[in-house]
Amino acid sequence: MAKYPFLPEASKFMRELGIKISDLGKPEYRFILDRAENRIEGAILFGTTGDKSPKDDVEIPSFPIAVILVAATKNSLIRKRYALAEAKRISDLLKSEDKEKIIRIAGTFNWRMRPKARTTSTICDFTLHYTDFLKCAPVFHDKKWKLVNRQMSEGAVCLTVHEAARLLEEEIRRHIEKKLEIDVVSLPEAVMSRVSLLAQLFKEKRVVPSDKPSGEIVTSAFPPCIANLHSEIASGRNVSHIGRFALTSFLINIGMTTEEVMNLFKSLPDFNERLTRYQVEHIAGDRGSRTQYKPPRCDTLRTHGVCPSMDVMCEGVRHPLTYYRRKLRNVQRKPPI
Amino acid sequence: MDSVSAKFIHDRFSDYYRINLSTIQPPSAIEKREFGFILFKERMMVRHKAFRTVERLRDFLKEIVPSDAYYSSAYYELPEEKMEAKGRLGTDLIFDIDADHISTPCQKTHDRWICRGCGHNSKGLPPETCPSCGYEKFEEKSWMCEICLDSAKNETIKLIDFLMKDFGYSSEEIDVSFSGHRGYHVSVEKNEVHALDQVARREIVDYIIGIGIEPELHGLSERPERGTRIIAGPSLDALGWRGRIARGTYELLLSSAPQDLRNMGIKPKTASAISKHSERLLRSWKDEGPWSVVRDVGAESWMKLALYGVEKESAKIDTVVTTDIHRLIRLENTLHGKTGLKKAKVAATSIEGFDPFESAVAFKKGTAKVKISSAPQFRLGDESYGPYQNETVELPTAVALLLLCKRRAKMV
Ligand code: SF4
Ligand SMILES: [Zn+2]
Ligand SMILES: [Zn+2]
Repeated sequence: MAKYPFLPEASKFMRELGIKISDLGKPEYRFILDRAENRIEGAILFGTTGDKSPKDDVEIPSFPIAVILVAATKNSLIRKRYALAEAKRISDLLKSEDKEKIIRIAGTFNWRMRPKARTTSTICDFTLHYTDFLKCAPVFHDKKWKLVNRQMSEGAVCLTVHEAARLLEEEIRRHIEKKLEIDVVSLPEAVMSRVSLLAQLFKEKRVVPSDKPSGEIVTSAFPPCIANLHSEIASGRNVSHIGRFALTSFLINIGMTTEEVMNLFKSLPDFNERLTRYQVEHIAGDRGSRTQYKPPRCDTLRTHGVCPSMDVMCEGVRHPLTYYRRKLRNVQRKPPI
Repeated sequence: MDSVSAKFIHDRFSDYYRINLSTIQPPSAIEKREFGFILFKERMMVRHKAFRTVERLRDFLKEIVPSDAYYSSAYYELPEEKMEAKGRLGTDLIFDIDADHISTPCQKTHDRWICRGCGHNSKGLPPETCPSCGYEKFEEKSWMCEICLDSAKNETIKLIDFLMKDFGYSSEEIDVSFSGHRGYHVSVEKNEVHALDQVARREIVDYIIGIGIEPELHGLSERPERGTRIIAGPSLDALGWRGRIARGTYELLLSSAPQDLRNMGIKPKTASAISKHSERLLRSWKDEGPWSVVRDVGAESWMKLALYGVEKESAKIDTVVTTDIHRLIRLENTLHGKTGLKKAKVAATSIEGFDPFESAVAFKKGTAKVKISSAPQFRLGDESYGPYQNETVELPTAVALLLLCKRRAKMV
């Protein structure tokens, strides 16, 4: 329970403790607050969650309290970082758990996961229903996470323990990140000052210089040229230099983070982490000149063969970004079948 | 279209909806679906319609007599609102298999395209750009021939196999129908698919078409064993894509001459080694598979062959339709405006013997006299008709209607 503080038992335990937010400033909660703060510091500084407290009545409540503190920073980057650190911690634990435990945790997210015995021809510890698999797997760009490369029968996808832990990590990360979106109205002053210290710490340590929120990326509103490049890259095919440039600058301009763009390129056969990062950061303006690049105009893309086939919306448009913004405004619909 | 022909078509559609109204069945959760109709008069789409009951839907059909009727694959909180305000609750998993997306040898003989820019025209499917003026818009004149529809049916059969064996749906959970024109529609309405997002649907599409497949991840590999390197691969009866890769490659070897293999990029030496040992290769399949029978065939060649095997086994679905979560789909047992045939349901288990030219015929009585500009030979029901070239013929209603709707004929 102390290990998996998002499980229903942990919430019950919390209710029994009966902690009120307005009481958090009181001295008896100091240890819990300390541990909560320690979790967040760990996440900010090292991407971990600090050292576990040996006392359950400190360790368990420290998680929901940390959630409140992080939410109170109202900083989406701290939220992301904290959710990731907690999810990583849990996924590392899961890798050494027995199958029943993993299945129980998957069950709390309504995943249809079943145990399976390995055979000589298959390495399969679990099966997971494909609809559950597809909730998280597509964010990983490695080819082995594509459904077409999985062993599947009767809707059940084979997974190893490691893979199951990795998938759950992503689900838990999202789950925690959602929890962190709660609106924290008022905290006792003593607690609030801890929150500002944490926010301060984050500002100083921050590695990602970009301040703009990573907006929601609506792939269905991509112009044909970008959609094409995007799916080529995502399926691991190589594209021309101008193609890469157009795609990267487009994605950065519509609010993707450098990290997210990097992830996309990871599936390329000739992926070179250092070089790609350099290029992406350069385009994003994180580096060198600090100017953020815009994608080329349509006529340039056309002469370089990056404009595959225009659709109706392309006709009144000279720039792929204009296309995207227009299409976002009116969710266009395709003809019936 | 001349007004006499237009009136004839409209009158027949009107008869159809009067007489067959009770065959119109509601899609599941009818009150959450959006409906759309194309009107004869203005050739305009009326959309954002909703009906609380099937009776209201039927009344509407009878009254307005649309040339085409559609419902949404999506469920909405407020189906009559504008797109942004509908509040999508979920979407069925749908597939479209259209003869237009499958290349058949006969396309060249019965399909034509005409450039909207300069009027240049030629046979087959239209090119990307017009070779004479560079324009990109074309008028397409396609025909629904038996060979084309048969290949669409074959793809549909493969799709159903995927949905049953790999995705685990029973034949009752898979709705299949002939679209009334050039293809088949398949849908799964089970709750579990409703929440799948576009990325997830794209993954399903890639699975069924075999896009991004890596035979290595399905066990095809070269590994050292007792001092030599041997090739190991999936077995014929393996589940999922493993078995499909094996069976596809097997079929490929059965049906390919050395020249075919060379066309697939296999080196001449390897190609002749394969055909020299074809007997042994095919026999070996009974037990451990052919993967390491012939010494001259290396891992690289097997990879190539396996990908051609994948191509054989994949089902050629339209990729855009499945990933679109707002698509409108033709309503079952309504008429297709381009043919006068109806969209006809077929049980997933009996599609093999399904005859679209029989089951989709909506009119069994009466005749009409039409002047036909041109039409290839075709069959409807048990009779064969044509070819026609500038002639006036008295034909059964369904046949006349088909030619009128396809704009190959006029009323006289
Ligand atoms: S016209 Fe412009 S936006 Fe449209 S596909 Fe071509 S380059 Fe992209
Ligand atoms: Zn032309
Ligand atoms: Zn044909």
